[in-house]
Formats: sequence, C-alpha cells, structure tokens
Amino acid sequence: MTIRFMDPNGVDNVRERINSDPEFHIAARYMSRDILIEAEAKQCIFKVRDGVITEIVVNPSPMEPWDFFIKAPEKSWALFLQPLPPPFFHSLFGAAVREDFQFGGDVEAMFAHYWAIQRMLAIMRLLQNE
Amino acid sequence: MTVVFLDSSKIDRLRNAMNHDAEFKLAARYMSEDILLGADESRCIVKVRDGLVTEIKPDPPSEDHWSFSIKATAESWDKLLQSSPPPFYTGLNAGMLRGNLQIMGNMEVAFAYLWAMNRMLDIMRQLQN
Amino acid sequence: MLKLEAITGKYGFVTVHGVDYRVYFEESGEGIPLLCQHTAGGDGRQWRHLMNDEEVTSKYRVVAVDLPYHGKSLPPESVEWWKEEYKLTKSFLIDFLVEFGRALGLDRPVFIGCSMGGHLALDLALECPDKFRAVIGFESAEFTPGLDLIWFNHPRISGEFKFANLFESTAPSSPEKYRREVGWVYSQSAPPVFRGDLYYYSVEHNVTGQLHRIDTSRIAVYLLCGEYDFASTPEMCRQAASQIKGAKYIEMKGLGHFPVVENYELCKAYLTPILEEITKIR
Repeated sequence: MTIRFMDPNGVDNVRERINSDPEFHIAARYMSRDILIEAEAKQCIFKVRDGVITEIVVNPSPMEPWDFFIKAPEKSWALFLQPLPPPFFHSLFGAAVREDFQFGGDVEAMFAHYWAIQRMLAIMRLLQNE
Repeated sequence: MTVVFLDSSKIDRLRNAMNHDAEFKLAARYMSEDILLGADESRCIVKVRDGLVTEIKPDPPSEDHWSFSIKATAESWDKLLQSSPPPFYTGLNAGMLRGNLQIMGNMEVAFAYLWAMNRMLDIMRQLQN
Repeated sequence: MLKLEAITGKYGFVTVHGVDYRVYFEESGEGIPLLCQHTAGGDGRQWRHLMNDEEVTSKYRVVAVDLPYHGKSLPPESVEWWKEEYKLTKSFLIDFLVEFGRALGLDRPVFIGCSMGGHLALDLALECPDKFRAVIGFESAEFTPGLDLIWFNHPRISGEFKFANLFESTAPSSPEKYRREVGWVYSQSAPPVFRGDLYYYSVEHNVTGQLHRIDTSRIAVYLLCGEYDFASTPEMCRQAASQIKGAKYIEMKGLGHFPVVENYELCKAYLTPILEEITKIR
C-alpha cells in the first residue's frame, strides 16, 4: 500500500487540504512544532508554524529537527488509514495503548496539541481513501 | 523596606516556606523553570525544579537563564506584598492589567503556572509582614 | 411556550465519612429505581439520552447524581481542596452511592454505570449485593492499569486534550455530534478531577481473582462492552464476566467506550432486553 501522505508527489495536496480544514484551523492555533511520522523505513516531517503546515519534508536527513514522533509498521498504518478502521486503529491513543503504534519525544507538546494531530490524521485518512 | 525576595536574611525562609506549602506543591507540580524577579534595578532568580524551589539567587549575572520575569517598581512591590493589598495589587493578573507590574518572556509558561506564582506571592506576603 | 424535557434537577445534602456534600442530581420516570453512575471526569449529563427514553422511564425511576467535585456538585465547603490532591477511592464511591440512594429512598435500586461506573458495578456486586437488585456495567474489567496519565492534569495542557482524547475513545461509526458531546463534557471537568478519578479506575480497582465470589442469586450482573473500547477491551470484559456464574456478557458491535452517550439508539438495542429482564427481579 502506498501511504499517500508520504508520497513526494502528493505532499502539496496534503498540506493544502489540512491547512484549509476549519477544524484543524481551530485545533492547531498557536502551534509551532515539527512532527516526525514514520512507517518503517519511510519518514516525513510535518513542519507546523503558527497553526499552518508550512512544509512536509519527505525522507528528511537525520539532522532535521523534530519535536515528537508517531510511528508504526506499514501494515498498521494501512489499518489506521482505512475509512472505517478496525478496533483500536481508529484512535492514535488506542493504537498506541493496544496495538503497535508508538509516539515519543516531547510528549508534553504532543498532548498539548493532540486535537490538531488527531484532526491531521483524520484528514490523512480521508485523502488515503479518495 | 527591602522586598523579601531580595533580603538575604529571608530568602532561605522563603524557599523553605514555599517548599512546605501544600497549595504551592499542587500548583507547581511538574514545574521546572527559572523565574526572574525584579524590583527597580535589583533582581533575583527563583529556580524551580520538579515543583521544588532549589535556589533563590540574588544579583544573577545577565547571562543567567530565565523563562519569564516578573518585574515592578519597589513601590509597586510594597503594595503587592501588603498583608491586605490595595485594589489592582491583589495578584499578578491584576498587577499586569492595572498595577504597573510586567510579566515578560515565555508567557505560555507564566500563565500555565499562574496559580503557583500567585501562591508564591501569598507566601511572600506572609514573610514580608 | 418553552418546550421542556421530562428531566428535573435538584440539590440535596449527603454526609459521607464525616463530610457534608451538597450534590446535584437529576431524575426522570417512575417505577423501579435505576441509579446511574457517570464516568471518571464526567457528570450526570452523560445519562441525558437514557433519561429521555420513555420506554425506560415508563418503568424506571432514573436517577443520575453528580459525584462531589463533578458537574454541578461543587467541592465540599469544609474541605480546602486547593491544598489537597484529589483522589477518588472505592470506599468513598461505594459509601457515597449507598448513602445517597438510602437518603433518596431508593429501595434496592438497579445500578448502571460506565467506565469507572462499570468497574464499580463489579465492586458493588462483591461488597454490597443486598443493597442493589442488579448491576449493569458498561466497559467493566477486573483491572485496567496504566491509564492515569499525568497529562490529564498538567498545568501546561488544557482541557482540550481531554476533549480530543475522549472523543477518540468513541467508535468511528457513532454519530459525530454525540462523539463530540462526549469530549465536550470532559473538557469541562475541573483540572484535577479526571486524573483523580482515574486513581480508582486505573490504580485501586483490581478485582483479579475475586469475581467468582459474586452470587448472582443475590444480585444480577450484566456486563456490556463496546467493540472499539481500547481502555477496557471486550476481551477484558468477557474475561471478567466468565468468572461470574450467572452473569450475562454482551459485546456491543459498533460502539466505543461511551455507549450511552455516543450512540444511544444503538446502545438501547442492547440495553432494553436487560432492563426488561430486570423488571422481573424482586
């Protein structure tokens, strides 16, 4: 399965869709963070500045900074991104508590902006299934 | 009158009083920050680690780190630290809006720990008087 | 003319462990008393859909109380709560509910609870089986450790985290507006309350190896669990039920951790037969 939000040819569309989402606009207010998302060997960094995703860096170098990460095996991302995910892949928190999703780094920042991250992932799920 | 947090004979008592105060303990949970306090040109840094005041450092050099500062004139501090403060000097929020007090630096952290800072003010009032 | 619901609310006074509490409760319906326990960090609003269901209220007097510190039940005036860590204990929970029920004149009520209320269903069945004629536990389990995160009560993290986190614990197929309603109630709880309640839910409550002692001839036990519940999974709930001879277990497909709020219409399909069966218990 191709994870669409990690496709270098599609990142502009991902960024624009998330930035134009009214819920993300509210949830991500004041957020300036770099989020590393990982699916095994594939990585990308979502750079958020003042609540707007300014860049999605696909295959970042190890020197590229990030504040916190969200990672999972590809097969688990596939389940998470299904239009109606199975239990417990419908929720990042649930998938981390009961399945093999992981998050770490500055978790305080992650939880402070959890709504924004949740909405961002929900939009990525919509894009995956268009 | 010397402001309590600049009085070398009182800063140990202030640190101990804060660390033994039940309300400060709750309010300052998980707090690890350095707070610059200023009265006119005099300053000190209150270092908090994991909710405990580890040091109150008088006359810190300018390169010392601090997360946010609480500054006012000595005259304003007199009012802030009265046992029954006058209007606009009852707390940091009031002081900022109306009482010639300034909070600068990392405002997000300052407001996250407003409760702890106001409790610190209460404890200072007890020692000042 | 203002359209009204059948729910009415009142304030009453309960003394527990020597402390006077002024508590808010709501009720609707007539008949068998049905005492509702909200979730950790929640309040009686979670029962609004049930309390407006005439099929239930035609047979049951449904009562939902806000525990002290929750909803419209303020902290007790005699306690300097701003100096103490708030922690909910099993002892307080049980004694409060038993005393509240007694004071309100509820004769061997049916207990219905979700999440921490679901765990409490098991504790009530174990510890005071003669005070309730039946317990209905949603999302019950023997032990659910590791969920009392510091982030639920951190000065740098707002109630918005609770809003997002608990929204996510509902099933993705539940109606959006009611999934959000779950989060909304959580975002309004006072800072220390959710995590303090999780002390009971995730630390203290541990009935591993004890459930075989429950005698369902004295108190009927019904346990239900949402398919999408990752806090207390269907497997954990089933495991608990399997140890109670005579207990009934139902996995609720398409529901999450808050069945009575997130999709009452679907939850009702599972709940109604149970409430019907209980009407035959004396």
